[in-house]
This record gives sequence, structure tokens and C-alpha cells, in this order.
Amino acid sequence: MKSVPDHQSQPVGPGLAGEVIRFALFLREKGFRVFQSGVHDVLRCLERIEISRRDDFLAALRAGLVSSDLEWARFPALFEAFWDRRSREPAPEPPAPRRRVDVPDPEPESGGEASSRLTGRMEGPGEKEWLEGVAYSPVSRVEKKDLGRFDQQDIQVARLVLNRMITPFRLHRTRRFARSRKSGKMDFRRIMKRCTRNEGIPLALYFKGKKKRPRRLVVLADVSGSMERYARFVMPFILGLRGTGSKTEVFVFATRLVSVTFAIRRLSLDAALSRISKEVPDWSGGTRIGYALHQFNLEHGRRLLGRRTVVVILSDGWDLGGKALLREEMAALHREAHCIIWLNPLAGDPDYRPLCHGMKVALPYVDYFLPADSLESLRRVGRVISRVAA
Amino acid sequence: MSAHFESIDQVMTELARERYIADRSLATVLFLARCLEKPVFLEGEPGVGKTEVAVVMSRLFDTELIRLQCYEGLDAASALYEWDYPRQLLQIRMQEQDGLDRERMERTIYSRRFLIKRPLLEAILGSDGNPPVLLIDEIDRSDEEFEAFLLEVLADFQVTIPEIGTLKAADRPLVVVTSNRTRDVHDALKRRCLYHWIDYPSFDKEYRIVMARIPGIEKTFARRITAFMQALRGEDFLKRPGISETLDWARALMAMHVDHLDADVVAASIGCILKYREDIRKFREEIWADPEKRAACLRGPAEGSGGRTSIQS
Repeated sequence: MKSVPDHQSQPVGPGLAGEVIRFALFLREKGFRVFQSGVHDVLRCLERIEISRRDDFLAALRAGLVSSDLEWARFPALFEAFWDRRSREPAPEPPAPRRRVDVPDPEPESGGEASSRLTGRMEGPGEKEWLEGVAYSPVSRVEKKDLGRFDQQDIQVARLVLNRMITPFRLHRTRRFARSRKSGKMDFRRIMKRCTRNEGIPLALYFKGKKKRPRRLVVLADVSGSMERYARFVMPFILGLRGTGSKTEVFVFATRLVSVTFAIRRLSLDAALSRISKEVPDWSGGTRIGYALHQFNLEHGRRLLGRRTVVVILSDGWDLGGKALLREEMAALHREAHCIIWLNPLAGDPDYRPLCHGMKVALPYVDYFLPADSLESLRRVGRVISRVAA
Repeated sequence: MSAHFESIDQVMTELARERYIADRSLATVLFLARCLEKPVFLEGEPGVGKTEVAVVMSRLFDTELIRLQCYEGLDAASALYEWDYPRQLLQIRMQEQDGLDRERMERTIYSRRFLIKRPLLEAILGSDGNPPVLLIDEIDRSDEEFEAFLLEVLADFQVTIPEIGTLKAADRPLVVVTSNRTRDVHDALKRRCLYHWIDYPSFDKEYRIVMARIPGIEKTFARRITAFMQALRGEDFLKRPGISETLDWARALMAMHVDHLDADVVAASIGCILKYREDIRKFREEIWADPEKRAACLRGPAEGSGGRTSIQS
């Protein structure tokens, strides 16, 4: 439905209608979500307004072709660029409406510097160096990891363990009703429907109760160099998430964030493994948790976060990125999500103290801080939780 | 009032007559929504007058405003229709004496008399002659199930009730959907609407709104208030104040019989503008304590911008 006829396959006619369609294609090239029906609306609009008035023309096009605030802010510049034909390239785009995750860091420490520059685009290898933590990586990209170095049977175990551990956090009584046995409110609709069979005497009573369903699960797994020691645990953990249902989104990060949801949910085990190793370039690189979270909040936050989302972060908290950025992004995450569970391989040690600065900064925003260095410890945690929940 | 607009200018003047100051692009969208019979999807920060659009439009058309406030778990029974069960039971008891057959009884208790109309059904059935304005408020608070359900209603303006049949609107009502953008609304819903983003107003526009909405306010005082709010909006708060806060504040100051802004007045009434403890603390510590920023807030409008605002009487 998203499609507008393609440039190549279908030559667009001359005249104003043709220009409008070309403009829609131009917007789509610039990343707008342009709907076919929107273009139709615009063409219908044009009969009704005075197209000689530039602002009306702009407003009509905008009403039909824009569908979000970010697009709204970019539209005037692109409109100008297209209809003025001075050049096909748009003028420098105005900043998008401010979102919380975009706010540059006011603190003048090193992390602040990184985060304020993060609001710009980071592209090209030359620019990458300034991002702390990226350069620090003895192994990154030099040797490709052998991801298959774990016991395949562990995946089954991980599936069971994860399901058991995470379900108590996820289960959610919605405000919708479903049929239920002898509890909850009376389901009058059914009662009335049935009672007409018995000459209007409601012999049988039916009930409806609040529906239960799992919350969305977002998993952010750290695969940086410091997590290397737990490699035999991390891979089964990630792959085991395929047992947690269709509402699970999985991301892995080291210096940047990559979604592996598709690989985990749709592909066979071997295909998933090869795909993940191909798509995660900096496996065992340095860690920038703050930047990974920033990326998540910016690109996926609006879609995935909400009161019905449980966020699980698997990381040891060794972070080489900016402290201030991490704090800000954790705060944003904490505000939006239902709860945050942090699984830390180091936390199993009774002498463990969150000393590394990444963990110290993040801890106030974490709802549940749990140890996880192996499937066995995860199983123990699961047992405790289900006992507490029950 | 005619249910159709002739031109965009007419929309603007009529909105202004109803004391709603809109910029031309919003007027264009409303004009087109009327022509194309499409819903309007309004997004914007809280308190910029999204809901008010629907209220004013219903006054313009001299028609009923049907409001549906969204919340999580909102379902067909509370948005569309429900059967009146107690009355149905009573009816059955009454008919029992007459000894009517089952089919007849079913026909009776599932007739329109026993139907409780909820907002959406009311908008569909009440559309003969002068269609109402349907306001679907804060769609982002509802859940995905309701959003999907709404698609069907907004697409055809018809509903199917199994016991009765399909009901269809004769004339389509004007639909205004608002969202505070706490979550993304699905593309399928946006695709069926005309989109408009309402931003915080410029100084000029806000001044005109204050003058239009607060009767008896003095021009220079209104300008002062507007300038203060504009300066405040430049700061980074958890919740930046909207126009509704401006109007609340202006009304509060009028009630306090104040006609100038000074430190005491602002400190006493800051609760009208900022609604978070953190924001108020930030205001006290960072803005109010800083003499330069404080002066900037109280200075009043910059020269030149005030000159063009002598439109309202």
C-alpha cells in the first residue's frame, strides 16, 4: 500500500498532476512514508484550492503527504527545493522538533562532548574515531568470531529457562475482557443470547474476566570484548529467545546496535548463526552502552517502548563511552518502559560491587538487577522469581 | 450555518469569529477535510488547542459535538453500542404472560429500542441532515485493538450489528482525531486522514489568542504575559507550557486583580504555568535566580513585534 508508481516502470505524464506525483516520489526518496491514497487526496485537493497561492498549495500537499512530526519539520525545505528548481538538492534542513533523546548533554565532560556531537549524523570511517570506545578494541574486525562454539543443546535449555524466568515480569492483565469460567463480571451478552432458547429464563450464567497476555519484550545483549568470557552463555541466550513468542525484539550491541530479531525469529539455526555473524561487524569490539541505547531510543523507541514493554539488558556494565550520555539514555528508557531488568554476569559473585562507572551510572534506573553468567544461574534466578511471583 | 465552506478565507474568518485563532495552513486542512470528507489527524504537544478545533468546528456548523475519550481497553461495547440487558430481561418477563414464540421474542428484544448508542454509533446514526462533529480524543492512549477497530468505522462510516444488520451514515460527520504522540499510531490509520501538526504559537499568534480569549485584558499586559511565556518556552522543561497554560495564567492574574508582572506575582502564580516539581525547581534555581534571564522574561516583547499586533480590538 505504501507504493507510489515507480519512476522507471511507469512514465509520469506532464502537467501539474505529473509534477505532484514526481514530488511524491521525490519525498519518498528522501525517506518519507508516502501513501498512494495521500497522493490521490492531494490531486483531489488541487481542484478545490487556488493553486496560485503558494501557502495554500504547500498546506494541501503537506496535509496529504506528511504523516509524522519529523516529516512535518522537514517538509518546507524539501518543498522549496523541489518547486523552486534552483537545484534538486534541498537546502540545509531545519532541526527536527526536539525530542527528549536528542537533547545535547550540558555537562562539559568528555561524555558530554561525545553526546552533543551524536545528534549530528555519524557517517564515514573518518568520523568514527572520536567516538570513545570505538578505537579501543584489540580484536575487532581482525578475526571473525566462530559463533558456533557452544553446545547446541544449550539452546533448548535456554529456551525453557528464559521462558520461565521472564514470564512473571511479562504477564499483564489487560483491560480487555475474555470469556472465563465462573469468575469476573457477568457476560450479559451471552446470557441473553442463550436465554432466548429457554423461553427467556436465564438458566446458565456466563462470565468474562480480564484477559492476560505477555508484554512486549525488548532484549539488548552486549556482545563486546569483555563479554567474551561468557560467550558459551550469550549465544544460547540470544538464540533461546526464539521461544519467547512473537512480541520479542532482540538487539545486540558492542559499539553500535544491530537488530537480530529477524534472524532469530524466522531463520533456521544455522542460517541465523551465519546471518548474525555477518551482520554484527564489531563482535567483541569495545562497548558503548550509552550510544547503543541512544541509537535504540532514537530509532526504535517510539515504536517499541511503552507501558507494555519489558526491557532486558544483558551486559557486564564495562562501558567505554560517555557517562553522561549513558545516564540520559537510561533515564529516557526508564521513563518509557514498564520495567528494566539488567542481567549482569558479574553480579553472581557475593563480593560484587557495581564499581565500574557504567554500572554505577545505570543502576538507579534499573528495576531488577539479576546475576546471569550461565544458564544454571539463570535457572536459579527463574526459580526464585517464580516463587516470589507465586 | 452552512455545512460547507466556500473558500479557505471563509474558514479563517469564521474560526476567528468563534475566537479560535488559526494559521492559514490549519484552515486549509479543515477546508479540505470538509471537501474530501476525510478525517483530520491532529498532533502536537499538550495544550496547543487540538481538542478545541473540534469544539469550535461543531459551533461553526451549529451541530452536536460527539466526543470519544480514548483509554486503554476501550472496546466496542463502550465505543460503539451495547444492548440494554435489564430492559431486555424485563421485556421477556412481560411477554411471558402473552406466551409468544421464541422468534418473535428475539425480534423484539433485539430491536433498536433496546440498543444503547455509544459515541461512534451516535455519530453514524445522527448524521441525517446536519452531521455531527466526531472528536476522537487522545487516540495514542488506546491500544492497538481499538485502533484497528476504528479503521473499519472511519473507512466506510458503517457498522454491522449481527442482530440488526448494517447501519450506514447518510452524510459523513467531520472527524477530528487527536494525539499527544506518546506512542506511534499505526500507518493504516494515518493513511486515512489528513495530517496536521500544531506547533507552539509565535508571539504574534499567542498574543492574538490571549486577546481573543480573555475579555477585558489590557493590551500591554497581554503582551507582557505572552512575552514571558515565549521566553519560558525557550527553556528545556519536562513539560513546556502550552497555550492553555497561558490562558489559565492570564485568567488567574485577572482574578488576582494584577495588572503588571513582577517577582512576587510570578512566584505566587507559577503553579499555573509549570506542573512538575522538577520544573518549578529548575525555574526557581536556574532562571529566576539568574538576573539576566529573569530580566529577559520580564522585559516584555521586543520592539517591532509589538507594532504588528494591533489587530484585535
